[in-house]
Amino acid sequence: MNFNIVEFFSETIKLVQQQDHGSIWLILLIGFLFGVIIQWSRVDTFDKIAGFAMLKGFKVPKMLFFSIGIASIGLFFLIKMGLASYHIKPIMLGGIILGGIIFAIGMAILGLCPGTGPVAVSEGNLDVLVGLIGGIFAGALFTYLYPELEKIMGPNLGKLTLTQFFDGSWFIFLYGVALIAIAFLLPNREIEEEVGEV
Amino acid sequence: MKIPKRLGWISGGVLLALLIWFTFSTYGAGRPIGASTGIAYMGAWFFGLTDTPYFKKITESGSWEVIFLIGVLLGGAFTSLFITKTFKIRAIPPLWKKHKNSSVASRLFWSFIGGFMVVFGARLAGGCTSGHFLSGASQTAISGLIFGGVAIVVLILTGRLFYKNL
Repeated sequence: MNFNIVEFFSETIKLVQQQDHGSIWLILLIGFLFGVIIQWSRVDTFDKIAGFAMLKGFKVPKMLFFSIGIASIGLFFLIKMGLASYHIKPIMLGGIILGGIIFAIGMAILGLCPGTGPVAVSEGNLDVLVGLIGGIFAGALFTYLYPELEKIMGPNLGKLTLTQFFDGSWFIFLYGVALIAIAFLLPNREIEEEVGEV
Repeated sequence: MKIPKRLGWISGGVLLALLIWFTFSTYGAGRPIGASTGIAYMGAWFFGLTDTPYFKKITESGSWEVIFLIGVLLGGAFTSLFITKTFKIRAIPPLWKKHKNSSVASRLFWSFIGGFMVVFGARLAGGCTSGHFLSGASQTAISGLIFGGVAIVVLILTGRLFYKNL
């Protein structure tokens, strides 16, 4: 056990400074803006996320699909212009399916995920703070068990993207517009109709 | 000018897309947004598991995401205090009360289990909503699309089975 917070942060900051992924201030700014957007849209509540799991409110998937639709088109051209690059996660089939199942059961119960959870904590939700502590325990256990778990995470089918199969700008427009269409087609029902504003 | 108390899914979605572009671009961080590796990094560090193969594998992403998550906490606190004015210490969400129970102990117990499963599952899958779906699917990554498909189906199934009076 090592709960020396000062050492934790000084080591972590040092590790970040060794990378070429932005200064500490820039990363804090990106996180800050993420927190503002998520909190301002109020998609950081149990009601919104578990409400989608119960099919009683659709703001979360609408915003997610809409955002990915727009982001995908712009990102494609940013990469084409050399202003960004692909960062593709490999298809570790066993890990993605088993992990996706465990993740989603947990998400329906906690009502939050690793990105929105800290926003929920920051606005005063003690239950989500307990969930975050659960997550920290899970991170430790996963790290400990990784040499064993690694064996069931495969097969690795590679870092594939759809754009590798459908080359050309037409595809990314089709993809992006399809996601945006899903966002519009999902019901407009909001969870506030059932439990009011939080 | 009056600042709106809520962002709708369209304006929220546009802003999130702009943030994804900025983060990916060479003007920003030159990498995707991710969150679950940061939490695993904290767990491994606090439990003295830094001399392990997994920690060595995630030191870069994990440390970056810890700083990112500190920013997220600050941004969320700022917005809930000054823009949406929704900051409030509480332990049971209204929807839990309506469809599960009114017991704080039960809610805290299940939150721990849920949070544990979220991070364990995300690390097994290699990403969460941010890394696999928001960042992955934006790059048309097949890994992210499989994860998203599995997660949405299981999320809705769990919603059916775990809660009552639906």
